[in-house]
Amino acid sequence: MRKIIKNPMSLAGLIIISIIGILAIFAGYLSPFDPNYININAILLSPDGTHWMGTDALGRDVFSRMLHGAQISLLVGIVAVGISTIIGIILGSVAGYYRGIADTIIMRLVDVMLSIPSFFLILAVIAFLTPSIWNIMIVIGLTSWMGVTRLVRAEFLSLKERDFVLAAQTLGASDFRIILTHLLPNSLGPIIVSTVLGVASAVLVESGLSFLGLGVQAPTASWGNILTDGKEYIQFAWWLSLFPGLAILITVLGYNLLGEGLRDNFDQNT
Amino acid sequence: MLNYLIKRILWMIPMLIGISLISFFIMHLAPGDITSNESAFNPKASEESRQKLRELYNLDKPIIVQYGLWLKRIVQLDFGSSFASHQRPVLWEKKDENGNIKPGLIQKALPITLLINLLTILLIFSISILLGTIAAIKKNKIPDRVITLFVFVGFAIPGFWLALILMYSLGVVNQVLPISGLHSIGYEQMSKLGQIFDLLKHLALPVFISCLSGLAGISLYVRNGMIEILNQDFIKTARAKGLYEKKVIFVHTLKNALLPLITILGLSIPGLIGGSVIAESIFAIPGMGKLFYDAVLMRDFPVVMGILTIGSILTLLGNLIADLAYAWADPRIRRGLAK
Amino acid sequence: MHKFLALLILSLVVGCNNSQNLDNTNYDDPALPESGGALTNAMIGEPNNLIAMIAGDSASSAIAGQIFNSLLKYDENLGFEGDLADSWTISDDYKKITFNLKQDIKWADDEPFTCEDVLFTWKKVTDPDTRTPYGSDYQLVSSASCANNHIFIAEYDEPYAPALETWASLHILPEHLLKDEDINDTYFSLSPTGSNYYALDEWTTGQQVKLKTNPNSVHGRPLLEKKITRIIPDLSSQFMELIAGNIDLMNINPIQYSRVFPSRSELNDKINLYKEMGNGYTYFGFNLKKKPFDDVNIRKAISYAINKEEIINGVLLGLGEEITSPYKPGTYWENKSINKISFDVSRSRELLEKSGYQLNANNIYEKDGKPLAFEILTNQNKQREMTAVLIQRRLQDIGIDVSIRVIEWASFVNRFIKTGEFEAVVLGWSLSLDPDQYSIWHSSQQGPGQFNFIGYNNPRVDTLLEDGRKELNNEKRKQIYDEFSKIIYDEQPIIYLYAGYGLTAIHKKIKGVKKTTPPAGVFHNDYEWYIPKKFRRNEMSL
Repeated sequence: MRKIIKNPMSLAGLIIISIIGILAIFAGYLSPFDPNYININAILLSPDGTHWMGTDALGRDVFSRMLHGAQISLLVGIVAVGISTIIGIILGSVAGYYRGIADTIIMRLVDVMLSIPSFFLILAVIAFLTPSIWNIMIVIGLTSWMGVTRLVRAEFLSLKERDFVLAAQTLGASDFRIILTHLLPNSLGPIIVSTVLGVASAVLVESGLSFLGLGVQAPTASWGNILTDGKEYIQFAWWLSLFPGLAILITVLGYNLLGEGLRDNFDQNT
Repeated sequence: MLNYLIKRILWMIPMLIGISLISFFIMHLAPGDITSNESAFNPKASEESRQKLRELYNLDKPIIVQYGLWLKRIVQLDFGSSFASHQRPVLWEKKDENGNIKPGLIQKALPITLLINLLTILLIFSISILLGTIAAIKKNKIPDRVITLFVFVGFAIPGFWLALILMYSLGVVNQVLPISGLHSIGYEQMSKLGQIFDLLKHLALPVFISCLSGLAGISLYVRNGMIEILNQDFIKTARAKGLYEKKVIFVHTLKNALLPLITILGLSIPGLIGGSVIAESIFAIPGMGKLFYDAVLMRDFPVVMGILTIGSILTLLGNLIADLAYAWADPRIRRGLAK
Repeated sequence: MHKFLALLILSLVVGCNNSQNLDNTNYDDPALPESGGALTNAMIGEPNNLIAMIAGDSASSAIAGQIFNSLLKYDENLGFEGDLADSWTISDDYKKITFNLKQDIKWADDEPFTCEDVLFTWKKVTDPDTRTPYGSDYQLVSSASCANNHIFIAEYDEPYAPALETWASLHILPEHLLKDEDINDTYFSLSPTGSNYYALDEWTTGQQVKLKTNPNSVHGRPLLEKKITRIIPDLSSQFMELIAGNIDLMNINPIQYSRVFPSRSELNDKINLYKEMGNGYTYFGFNLKKKPFDDVNIRKAISYAINKEEIINGVLLGLGEEITSPYKPGTYWENKSINKISFDVSRSRELLEKSGYQLNANNIYEKDGKPLAFEILTNQNKQREMTAVLIQRRLQDIGIDVSIRVIEWASFVNRFIKTGEFEAVVLGWSLSLDPDQYSIWHSSQQGPGQFNFIGYNNPRVDTLLEDGRKELNNEKRKQIYDEFSKIIYDEQPIIYLYAGYGLTAIHKKIKGVKKTTPPAGVFHNDYEWYIPKKFRRNEMSL
């Protein structure tokens, strides 16, 4: 922890994430307006004293929508990454520890998943299930576990040969126990790094999906859809592009800084 | 090692069949087919005619039969014709009896995608090696911090946001670069050199945007790899022997740090034929990304399956190369395999 | 490696010798018509087949329409006039149409145009082997024949009033070039020969379609020598190309029309804006087979609860109109005598409570323990989404719980519409020029894939629709359809929301555009448009 604070980059990352996290959690209290409150007399107002970030095409307060959008973006990121990490840990441990047939099958499965473009899977699934925030989270999670799997497997492969594992095996510890108490804790480093970086990616993916019309749906606000809604008149309504774009940039940056800082931290330990 | 290689290659055949089968089924899971396009809600178009169309394309047969028909053709390297584009060949142009050539869809879309991707990879690798090396040498000092920040910002910027901003400032307000498309009006009248410049001008923004997000990964990889090696004993030995500093870095370090980059290159191979549908839409570039996306929305099965087939072959090959390179580079795993 | 980067940057800087930072040209300068010049516009999709009867998409028909003619076309007031036909007569029993074709007309390849071409085209569109979705109208022709080289006769078993409209939308194809071809697969679809103002010059797949004047054009040469259509899938990119002066016209949205342009004087110096009645209307559709939408009072209650003016002001910024019949406002068929259902919350509550609904503890109307709640489905269309959001807000206010789902088109059609698995939709139809509405409202059209998907069933309307198809006397026909639209409005199986305006931005360098847009639209006289030499782009040799 101390190392994180010492490194100015990861410290900056931590601060950014914390600020955004707090804004997201308390969005409800901090929003001056109901983010879904439509006011057709206030369409596309530029930022002023009442509407700090202006209003959108239906007169809704952009600042309030941005705060609630923070909730959505972070929710999507965290749940999606949670799903992919859990799947990745399970598959990666089994592959790395047991090797043999299980390893072959799992790695071939990874190859298959990597061969089918994730966008295609996402589109097909969302088309089938219809876009909703939960489906988006599940689908992003189900299409990004491959990296974690490989990582965990690689860690397990090199850790497996170490003395403390051999000792535990000789003492008769069960496989499950060895994985849970010896191997996983020592692999935690790269997993945490991957998780943090994964949240950043998920936020970017959601904004990309919004551009294609497959992201979080109206009337729910997300940074991606605020940006997309305003793209045909950015010359006029610059506030609809600037604020969500910056928000995505800063959030992703924060997560990346923290993630890389953590990576430096863990690397120095090995 | 040879056994491993043979096993992997043999595995590719059932895997390709598996991938194509899964993709085929997923494609059919999404409801609708080619007849669900615009004419679906055109009162002039009758349901009987749409049903006829379905029969002609074998869409009314059971999925497994349709898959079988497709498989039979693909193993003969017949990628079929597109549903949506009314019989344009999916892969390569077809000549009819009168010598008229119908251009193939992938044939037209792939070159521009390859060009953009190759330029992108070239730029990413060269810039990243430069930046990563500087960052490693000046570790934890200002240049390192600045470079790290720069590549992170590059990764974090939403691509289409930056694209719109740059298109507006460089294409509309200042008119130094074209906004969209591949060629200017009057392209045909330009000299060969003029045409090359024109194309480069049109590709400048798309390549720049796709580079920006890729810089972070590779530069950090190079930086970290070099730092690790710079700390190792044999470098210290070389330094102690009094070898000239620059030579030490460039010759010894770079060589060792770059080896794992082959892994990454291998993993990038399948990406070569993939285009970003978002970038291609914004920049009006008729590449593989848009081709694939439109085909999925239109349920144009031959095109979707054609692109997925090529993509999965490349992915499997790329993964194989990457895994081999990684295993070779990491002595710990090499030892584990040899046991 | 540094050198490579430097070279790249240098090439970009050196290569740009086209900077037009300051455009001080005065485009308001009047100029006499002169031929030549090229108009550049943009499309979001690419045409894929220029034989319109086979292509299903609007991009293909837009380009094909410049190349081919039909027998008839619409004049500027939306009446019929001859395209390839000079004149036509309808027999007294209304079962035979005789077209007198123009004589001494040649195809672009110099071959003469004759009645054989019309007959051939009709045979093709009615041939079961032709992969066309549009055959049904033409199959009603019981016999088609050529009396001689320039008289074409179409006979019907029964009078078919929409017939003239069908002959205004069938592109006539050259028999001599297609008679030995498989029309579904022929190269002609990528390299056609037509008879209209333009011929295909060059088609660069994925990038642009170039048309050039056809010297044999039926109606004489247009002034604009070339038309270049660039394919730009993203509307924000298109708009940027418009304001940078790289494309000359574009269909714009209400926000660009009302907010972006007025805020930029330099844009108004270069570009004119045009407003016309659009071609479609947006509606809120009930699934009449699902309770409680089978009760007309509930439907009316919902209609009273929706503030249509607010939707027009919010979604279209006022650039649209309410309609009460499915016909283009300002045209003959519009039924002006229907009284609008206004925005009236108390009337809405009255109707709901009369039907047995009471507000529950959550302020939602409830009857027999079931709250009044449903889901609105719509496809990925910004305006429809915004409309649905506004409807949701108004209905929530009154006590109806509404959720919204936006679905990708193919899934929408197949999973929900075809199967009848929906409660309410926000969708659109086009505003018909011919009043026939059989396929949308007749009770026989409720099969899966057919257009009466909301399940409307009214025997009186069925009879009216059948009669309307056979009545060729316009006055009598109007009475039939006036009654038809009145019944539809009274029963509110759909709630008409709005008919939006068509908004076009055209660069001032394009002269000849009519100041007052006629009912047929701003593009109607584009063959008269011209670009004075001094305003033409640096196009080198054309």
